[in-house]
This record gives sequence, structure tokens and C-alpha cells, in this order.
Amino acid sequence: MDATENHEAEPAISRMRERYPELGSGPLPVEPYISPAYFELEKRHIFKRVWQHVGREAEIPRPGDFFVADLPASDASLIVIRGRDNVIRALHNVCSHRLNKVVYEPRGSARRLNCKFHGWSYELDGRLVGVPDEKYFADLDRDQCGLTRASADVWQGFIFVNIDPHPSMSLSDFLRPVYAGLEGYPFERMTNCYRWRTVVNCNWKLALDAFQETYHVRYVHGRSIADALRQDEEGSMLPIDCLCGDFHRRLSMAGNPKTVYGNPQAASTVDASTQQAGTQRVGKIAAVALKAGRGATKLSFSAADLPPAINWKKDPDWVFDINVIFPDFYVSTRPNYYQAYNFRPIAYNRTLFDSRVYYPEMKNAGGRFYQEYMKCVLRDVLLEDLGTLEQIQAGCETGPKTHMILQDYELMVRHNAHVVNRLIREGESRRQVA
Amino acid sequence: MSAPVKLPPEFAALEPFAHWALPTETARNHHRHESSAAEIDAFAEAMLARFDEIVARLNEFPLDAMPEQWRPLYWMLLSLAEVAPAVEFYHGPQVPDGYDTRRFVADESFPLRPRM
Repeated sequence: MDATENHEAEPAISRMRERYPELGSGPLPVEPYISPAYFELEKRHIFKRVWQHVGREAEIPRPGDFFVADLPASDASLIVIRGRDNVIRALHNVCSHRLNKVVYEPRGSARRLNCKFHGWSYELDGRLVGVPDEKYFADLDRDQCGLTRASADVWQGFIFVNIDPHPSMSLSDFLRPVYAGLEGYPFERMTNCYRWRTVVNCNWKLALDAFQETYHVRYVHGRSIADALRQDEEGSMLPIDCLCGDFHRRLSMAGNPKTVYGNPQAASTVDASTQQAGTQRVGKIAAVALKAGRGATKLSFSAADLPPAINWKKDPDWVFDINVIFPDFYVSTRPNYYQAYNFRPIAYNRTLFDSRVYYPEMKNAGGRFYQEYMKCVLRDVLLEDLGTLEQIQAGCETGPKTHMILQDYELMVRHNAHVVNRLIREGESRRQVA
Repeated sequence: MSAPVKLPPEFAALEPFAHWALPTETARNHHRHESSAAEIDAFAEAMLARFDEIVARLNEFPLDAMPEQWRPLYWMLLSLAEVAPAVEFYHGPQVPDGYDTRRFVADESFPLRPRM
């Protein structure tokens, strides 16, 4: 029953390495995960040149609303602010006068940006508009003394910044080759967001890698949600399909419709209260959560409303897609909610994991209970994932192994390493020419 | 310590569990991790026994206009969600082999977080 036409046509195993032979199939070097020198190359050739997700437009709905995005791997701290013209800009948080921080707080709302050191004052678009004792400066040209701009642009309500003021590629050209088909997903209608952050002592790629394969699910999530994924006759939890672009990658997952987490329609279709309550698959609290959540969302749409790139294989058991937007942004697209994680590098062995989950608004307390149930399960599942990371980094750094071994369905790990390496190689050869 | 939490009279029997009436995810999560598996199970059983009544009564109020006297019961309901993984997956407060929950910090003031 699980075997779709596609599965029958070609054996699942070995499909991936045949489709992407340029990624190779050998072991992957550990060096890029533990080398400060390699991290410097990543900073120079990737994080100072690419678009990076920093948040949602809806976080700063009114002119003057801002938040600060700290991007250590870009050596930048940016004020992301909505102007009077409603345009979202990214301004370096550095006063033009004596280089103090202009805003101290992580988020807020301002009529003007005023430096607290000597009172220099900037418009919301960064223009310098006020200088105390201006007559004592020799030849001060206000037009040349605004806050330094980085690039900012918005795609599907996600704000991206690029510290290069003249990026080699527009945000649209960067994203659309892989993600044009995601446009129209109701991101903006998932307005209840929960966010957790932590600094993990591991390399950013190692943290991301833990979220871009499903081989670990049976073990790391064996107590919690492992049974939510569809298993084949041998118990393997293979993805439906993988896609690799020049930068980005996608993974489509099949669920087990008998579970709360593996069935996106569980709240409306699984009659947990009568059939499965108290069984191993649906616990007693899960069962009442499903019951309370039924019909309680303010947003309802069917799979038919989703854009074509969602569940691109049209698998009947589809449960979610993983979309990794290079370099460090993970977005899951599910029929009833989505997750948005950044794996923000701080140092070669330190990463800020900034994780958010977005749900629709609920109508009542019963609906919120269902949402709280889903959220608490997700948070604890993330603790299971995070639990491995610092141990792996330590394992890498103690040095007994120079390589890691990957199977076919860890292709996304391989793809990320490959793209990072390619961009460093291209960047270094440009430098040598110049 | 603050005065003991009073629940609406029809739910007064749940007052021994009113220490779970905590308004933030952070507080509910920390309370779970300071409780024993037996304490968590007792709380979950007590809430499940009255679950339908609790939800039916709380659903009478719009979320953004939950009356003051009903909020503690609402927070207890959210605490039931908080302990669900402890009851159904882990059989104890901790996530076995998991990352330290106190290092995984909820942003309670995030502008897109629901207020209730």
C-alpha cells in the first residue's frame, strides 16, 4: 500500500547517489567541522556574501519597529527596521561619529535612531538628521554620514539580509530556482509563533546536519515520535524524495497516519477518543488534545490549496517537506504549521540555534491546549536532537577519525559540505586572480 | 510565597494541584523538571478526569478576554500539555539523553507569541 508508482518504478535505495553523482559517495572529511582556519574561509566567502534569514516581516509591522540581527560570522550587527515608506532596511548598528552602538536593546520601536554617546540622530532610513554642536565640526557632510546600509529584501514574508551592499545575486535569483514553487504557501497566516534559542558548542554544519536526514529518527527519537514516520517493510524511514540545487536542498517525508505527529489531519480525521486512546500510538493526553483541537483553528485549508512544490511527489502519506535555504536556514512546510530554524555560526565550534514554530491562531482554550501539546512535544523532540551535538563536536575534536561515513539518505549532509566547499574554492580562486 | 491560588468553585477539588497554575511556558517547564514522575502522573490523572468539563467551561470565553478567576485553570490546562511528553514518552520529567532544558530558552516576549 505504501509503495507508490514511483517506488515501484525504481528501487528507493541508490536513487540519490545516481541522481547526483557530482556529490560523490566517499567519506566526508571532519576538518571543516573543527578548523578555525576553515571557519575564516566560510566567513569570507559565504557569510559575508550570501543572503541570511533574520525574521518575519510581521515582527515589525509599523514604521519605526526594529530588531537587531547579530551575525557574528559576517562580523556584523544590523538594525532591521521598517521605514516611514514601509520599506524594510538593514543598517549597521554603528554610529558614524565615534562608532558606538546606536541601539542597545534587541528590539523596539523608534521615531528616530539616537546615539546615546553624543546624541547623533538618524532617520529610520539611516540618514543623519541631527548633530549636536554641529558648527564645531570641520566640513561635516551629513549626506556622507548616514548609518552604513547592508542589503535587505523580503520573500514570502521572511526578511533576508546580506551584508554586501551590492550582492552578486538578488534574493529572488538566489531562492527561486529551487523555491519558486513554494510561493503561495500560507506562511503569513500562521501567526502564533513560539521561539527558543540556545548557544550550542558545536560547528554550525554539524548542528544543521542533524536536521537534514531521517536516518537518526528511529534511535534519537525512539521514545517520542519515531513511529510518526512511515517505515518500509524493513523498518527504514526513507524520505519520499530529495532535491539538490546549486545551493539549497529539499527533502519530502511520509508519515504514519495512525499517529498524532505523523498525520497532519489528525485533529480532524483520527477519531482518537474512541479508537486509539490509550494505545501506544495515541496516549491519553494526545487523545484529548486531538479532541480539543478539532475544528478549533482559525485557519483551515486543504492540501489542494497548497502550492505545487509542496509534497512534490503527491504522496498520499506525505507529512512534511524540509527546505534548507543555504547556508543555515531550515524551513519545514507542513499542511497545518511550519518550523523555521537558523543555525547561526558564532565560531568554528559555537552555534546559535534560533528555532521557531509557527501555528495558526486558535479560536479557544481547547484549541490552544492542542497547540500547546504539539509545541511541548516538538520542544522536547528538539532536546533529543540537540543532545547529540556537543558530544559529536567533542568526538570530532578528539581526533581519532578524520572522516565520517554517509549513506545514501544522508545525501543532504553531503550536499551542504559540497556547496560550502565549492564556494570557498571559487572564492579563493577569485582572490588569487585579483 | 504568594497566597494560595483559588479556582472557580466548581473546580475547587483541583486546588491541591493549583501549584501548576503558572502563566509562562518557562515556569511550567521548570516546575515539571522539579517534580517527580509520581507527582506529574497524579496531576495528569486529576486533570484528565475533569478534562471535558474544564475545556467546555474555558471555551466559553474568548482567549483574549479570559476572566481573571478562570486564568489559573487555563494555565493548569497548559501545564497538562507541558507534562504530556513526560507522561507519554519519557515516564519521568527529563528527556533521556536530552539537552539541558534550561539552556533551551523560550523567548516569552517574542512579538508573535500569543499572549494567552
